[in-house]
Amino acid sequence: MTGRFRIAKGWRDMKTIAYLTLDTLFWSKKTIFVVFISLVVLGMAVLGRLVLSYNWIRAPFTPAQVFSTLMSTAVIHFMVVFVTLFYGTALISEEVEGKTLTYLFLRPIPKPAIMVGKYLALVWTSVLLVLPTVVFSYLILYLRDDLRPFWEDAGVLGKDIGIVFLALLAYGAFFSLLGAWLKHPILAGLIYAFGWEGIVSYLPGFTRKLTVTHYIQSIFPHENAPASLAMLFGERTQAPEAVSTLLLMTALFLAAACLVLREKEYVLEQ
Amino acid sequence: MTRILEAKGVSKWYGQVIAVNKVSFSVGPGVTGLLGPNGAGKSTLMKLITGQLRPSQGELTLWGERIWNNYPLFYRMGFCPEQDSFYDRMTGAEFVAALLRLHGFSETEVNQRTDSALQQVNLVEARDKKIGAYSKGMRQRIKLAQAVAHDPELLVLDEPLAGMDPVARKETIRFIRILGKAGKCVIVSSHILHEIEAMTSNILLIHNGQVLAEGDVHDIRDLIDKHPHHIYIRCSEPRRAAELLVAFPDVVSIRFHPESNALTLESRNPDEFYSRLPGLLLRHEIALEEITSPDDNLQAVFHYLVK
Repeated sequence: MTGRFRIAKGWRDMKTIAYLTLDTLFWSKKTIFVVFISLVVLGMAVLGRLVLSYNWIRAPFTPAQVFSTLMSTAVIHFMVVFVTLFYGTALISEEVEGKTLTYLFLRPIPKPAIMVGKYLALVWTSVLLVLPTVVFSYLILYLRDDLRPFWEDAGVLGKDIGIVFLALLAYGAFFSLLGAWLKHPILAGLIYAFGWEGIVSYLPGFTRKLTVTHYIQSIFPHENAPASLAMLFGERTQAPEAVSTLLLMTALFLAAACLVLREKEYVLEQ
Repeated sequence: MTRILEAKGVSKWYGQVIAVNKVSFSVGPGVTGLLGPNGAGKSTLMKLITGQLRPSQGELTLWGERIWNNYPLFYRMGFCPEQDSFYDRMTGAEFVAALLRLHGFSETEVNQRTDSALQQVNLVEARDKKIGAYSKGMRQRIKLAQAVAHDPELLVLDEPLAGMDPVARKETIRFIRILGKAGKCVIVSSHILHEIEAMTSNILLIHNGQVLAEGDVHDIRDLIDKHPHHIYIRCSEPRRAAELLVAFPDVVSIRFHPESNALTLESRNPDEFYSRLPGLLLRHEIALEEITSPDDNLQAVFHYLVK
């Protein structure tokens, strides 16, 4: 088998696995939950818009402030984490629970191709469900007669989309690793996302760099309470370093997930 | 015999539990039945053969190559798992086609092979029905279809007849026999003895994780020399025949069946017994109506060996 043929076949295998996974991932009960979260975020945007339009609260709120709060609390720290946690941990563990992993493992494709194919499906599904929520929230908050703020902050929206994408990649890879490795990955993922990251981000010293959220907060274009509090105890990582670290983390988590899938014996209960 | 699968001292344990204990055997072309009661270690052995598990000890090879993490072997192997699990939202045709794509076939070939596989298992009419709506027997057949669709040289079938109705069962047995006759290596497991017997006389008997016997059912029977061989004889004068037969040193017991004019005897040397019986009955003008051996049935062999 020549190198070029092997690459072409590898890519085709990953695509086939991704299509196969997309169907099971998208048409699952999890999607109902994710759509619900998305609607809650959009509902919050609508509420913010009503507050801004009708001056329900006598406070100097701007669309930028509402959007920033929405992004930092609802999208990055909640929606992205939950979407990647539920879908990422399900990639392998649901095939094990459903006992369908056998069908994939007994095909002439390397196990890492299965992992990468499934990860691609996860990224695609997450992007499809999360990014429109970000864009629609922006539209809800900014679309008005005076379009100057809309165009002025369009760059911020672009950055937010990029950061959400990076967060989906990194969290997705991490939770995929947990799903391939552990028997109860959701619990471990919840402990990581809301225990470890929640505590360590606010600790001084190097340990905060052992979280995904630190690098996301470092490049986050909005000022928000959690990030500001966290940055009190330490410096932000420079943007190029933060971006490359997030990409490196993604690659490492994904490589580890591939290795686990390759070496682990999955005993499908009869 | 061309050796396709070879196991040398293979063991598999889960913590303190030994599922397969130092088994050694080899399998060549044709149908080989893997026979044993539930919990004997058949499924673990099948998972080792199909590379889903790694042997804890020993060497297991297919065409001389180790199996674990050797994915190119799956071009040549098909597996029908025991578990009743599917991507239920898919139709039968989508399921077979999706798995075929992972073999690197072109779309045209995928479609042709899907049609052919569904035809082989009589599921053409249900091809566009969701698997979730299939009956148990249809689900068994779609599993078989995905196993044979890429035309593998080795087929490993774990309890393939479970849940099938009698007609589908008969058809599947016929299909497996055809595959065996075509030179494919088919390893089929079951805990139901007559099912295996209907497919092949070549068996691997497994119990408590160990291979108790291997080979033709008659050869295996010969190995059990400490157990007398049962022979059922129906003739015109069973009492007179018994009087003559009891004089032979290898005959250890005789039991009458007056209602059917027959007797069952136990012989320690069946070959010799069979060779002298016709002459003896001829000399004494006793008409032989039926002679059979219940021990040629796998049930009896299994019964002896596990006891």
